[in-house]
Amino acid sequence: MTEQAMRPQFMGARVKRVEDPRLLTGQARFLDDIDVPGMLEVAFVRSPYPAARIMGIDTKAAKAAPGVRAVIAFEDCPVVLWQKDAYEVGQPVLAHGEVRYVGEPVVAIVAENRYVAEDAAELVTVHYEPLEPVLDMYRSIAENPRRVHENASNVFFYKKYTTKGFDEAFPAAAHHLQETFRTTRQTAVTLEPRGTAAMPDPASGRMTVYASTQSPHRIRGDLAELLGWPENQIRVIVPEVGGGFGMKANTYPEDVVVVWAAHQLRKPVKWVSDRTESLLTDVHARDDIHEVEVAFEDDGRIIAIKDHLMADGGAYPAYPFSGAVGETSLASRVLPGPYQIPYIETEIHCTYSNKTPLGAYRGVWGPIASFVQEGIVDRVARAVGRDPAEVRRINMIRPDQFPFRNAAGMVYDPGSYGESMEEALGLIGYDTFRTRQTELRKEGIYRGIGISVFVEPTAMASSEAGSVGYESVFIRVEPTGKVTAAFGLGPTGQGHETTMAQLIADQVGVNVEDVVILHGDTDSAPFGGGTGGSRSGPIGGGAALVAGREMRQRLVKLAAHLLEAAEEDIELGNGQAWVAGVPDRAMTIQQLAEIAYTHVKRIPAGMPIGLELVARYQPERSVSFSNGTHVAEVDVDIRTGMVQVLNYVVVNDCGRLINPLIVEGQIYGGVAQGIGSAFLESLRYDEDGQLTTTSLMDYLLPEATDVPRMMTKHLVTPSAGEGGIKGMGEGSLIGAPAALVNAVSDALEPFGVMVNRLPVTAEDIRQWILA
Amino acid sequence: MSTKMPVNLTINGETFNVEVEPRWLLSDVIRHQVGLIGTHVGCEQGVCGACTVLIDGKPERSCLIFAVQAQGHQITTVEGLTQNKPDLTPLQQAFQNHHALQCGYCTPGMLLTATALLETEPHPNEHRIREALSGNVCRCTGYQFIVDAILEVAGDSKEASR
Repeated sequence: MTEQAMRPQFMGARVKRVEDPRLLTGQARFLDDIDVPGMLEVAFVRSPYPAARIMGIDTKAAKAAPGVRAVIAFEDCPVVLWQKDAYEVGQPVLAHGEVRYVGEPVVAIVAENRYVAEDAAELVTVHYEPLEPVLDMYRSIAENPRRVHENASNVFFYKKYTTKGFDEAFPAAAHHLQETFRTTRQTAVTLEPRGTAAMPDPASGRMTVYASTQSPHRIRGDLAELLGWPENQIRVIVPEVGGGFGMKANTYPEDVVVVWAAHQLRKPVKWVSDRTESLLTDVHARDDIHEVEVAFEDDGRIIAIKDHLMADGGAYPAYPFSGAVGETSLASRVLPGPYQIPYIETEIHCTYSNKTPLGAYRGVWGPIASFVQEGIVDRVARAVGRDPAEVRRINMIRPDQFPFRNAAGMVYDPGSYGESMEEALGLIGYDTFRTRQTELRKEGIYRGIGISVFVEPTAMASSEAGSVGYESVFIRVEPTGKVTAAFGLGPTGQGHETTMAQLIADQVGVNVEDVVILHGDTDSAPFGGGTGGSRSGPIGGGAALVAGREMRQRLVKLAAHLLEAAEEDIELGNGQAWVAGVPDRAMTIQQLAEIAYTHVKRIPAGMPIGLELVARYQPERSVSFSNGTHVAEVDVDIRTGMVQVLNYVVVNDCGRLINPLIVEGQIYGGVAQGIGSAFLESLRYDEDGQLTTTSLMDYLLPEATDVPRMMTKHLVTPSAGEGGIKGMGEGSLIGAPAALVNAVSDALEPFGVMVNRLPVTAEDIRQWILA
Repeated sequence: MSTKMPVNLTINGETFNVEVEPRWLLSDVIRHQVGLIGTHVGCEQGVCGACTVLIDGKPERSCLIFAVQAQGHQITTVEGLTQNKPDLTPLQQAFQNHHALQCGYCTPGMLLTATALLETEPHPNEHRIREALSGNVCRCTGYQFIVDAILEVAGDSKEASR
């Protein structure tokens, strides 16, 4: 009985979120709501050129403007991101001698408010000598037209991998086909822009940094390292964060400048990005090219895939991880997806360009890899004249093959690959679809179905976010019997205050409303890896279970002693401890807690005073794979090229669910982002290297009318980790784009169309139809 | 540039006398002068809808209006929905019941847009709700649970929506 709560009351339940009331009433405090008397605000002068030498900076007029407190250039704040690490180049937090992308910060103005700071920014004159920008990946590999960084090759990451036997198997297959798949640049577009505020604490002399981040301990460590301060002199507090999606996992130049300015001026200083700055300087994502060759047999069995992967990392490696490396290296390892494709050869080039640094956006690597993998299957199906679902069945990894080592050496733990697909096809009515499709085509309606069976690596021991492989929980049963637990996670809307409370409440035997979850304050939380890479549920949740269980053992031991019963006979629940079968012999958890803190002579020998402990959890497996299937049904208007998503089904398997309501919210949100990725969202650079999509009128996000009503079903294949939990934050955006664009390909089969790009626009579709 | 002028703003039934520069946006004045931080700023380009407030009962982008233009009008922000009562309104409660918010940044704008819709059209169907919400971007939820929450308040049956 003492090992684990045997009858979880809250795990798996659709518990309403405790976060909601403050957010619904306008009481929540986001970064820009941090305001203290005398707080100064920052505006940045940013590069208007993709590549130029800085010949001089004249800040005299800006310095003289009323209300301006400081004008900062690189000479004042000479910090370079990556100065102590692996890459040959690093980004100066303010441009030093040369600018390398449009939007790169050059000068910071600190003034009494943002209006004044922006006025003064216009008074700064920077003399530039433009250089020819590097904009194309293929040309960049060949160092054309030049190097982005004089002393470093444009190719900053190269890797080649070949499965043994590939060279014989590839040419021996009956058929081959080629395709080049591409994603444009996209970005997270959190509705709350980035921002940072810093204020020296006059009492302690420490620096308090408010950061809109996913990784509170990481940004503290980064600031300490970059500014050369002991990290216990920095306290990072993360207020409410209005979305992250991977984009807020980085430490940005502006963060360093704001903290530096607060330190220099001994004043509170804040910077909040505006939307144009966001689109220019939040890390961009995707921007992949995959040149693929596939070898397959008559029946549609795929024998081998050869893929040349390229990603444009932008002007500098984002700090502290380059999105280009994440996009390509993980894609190369998960490329076979749920299929038993025995041979693979991958070659990776990550290059610099004069564009914004590339970082993470939800599902890093996944949307393109799923698109490549599912695009291959559909092309093979069309080539051999078989149904796309049938070709998937032929290639699918079977349940008896788990744990399955894929052609790139990744080991998949058990999942429900085939089952998820069959369930999804059933829900959308696939068996009657082809008949409907044929009838509709006679009426001039081009309807298509796209299938996407995805795998989602979660809870990775070392995620590219530079995160640690474990998570920690500090848990305390208060003298009143209420429970407080602190995490190093960095939630941005995922509802950890609810889900972690559910897990702990079950273990400790209290009600979920009696548990308060703290996060986002490095002074109160134990060191943790933050939120990213779909790790908070399985690793953070695992740590919650371990911490809750250890606390449970303490309570049981104490109760057994006080109730004069054996430990194995003690049960906990509903805020009570009792002797099994003798409900009268009971104490409340509050009574136990009071004794543990105040009547300590009654504590059994050897038991520590109080009810506090720290627990850590690191999964034994280096990764746990969630899986699922998305099926999209779309109509394509061949006159306009417009796509309408009619039906959408998701069958998802993320192991045991903590809170289905929250899981479904993650799925629906990810699918909507998938609709954006597939049809709308594109950061476009013109031939001069100017980003032309700097407002939300140019970078289009899915609206309520773009997203159909979706249907979800859960399958449960538990992980081997704590609670059987797998991560699931990214799978919906990994699976969705492939399903959506494959549906377009299916609809346009009479025109011989096979979509090979994300996003696919109405213009693309019109051109294909006219061709 | 920095010449300030007095303006009387009526927000959530209360009158606020504030000194503003003519160029200050209503959103900035509501947030930083009046201190009602529930109005969020997401783009300042009039696209995302996070800064939506009701002006004389109609949803408007407070980032596209100067504060001086708002004098003489009734402004309602998210803080005004509960009218100083501790309980959530039925719409807010429905948002919680249906998990209609994740990060919560778009939520005040969503609530105000939905409030105005239900005021003029108490029983909208799903199609109407989606149309009404199409000027409010949510990056987290995929809209489905927001639509469900509004449908609940609209008293629309599940059959009509599915």
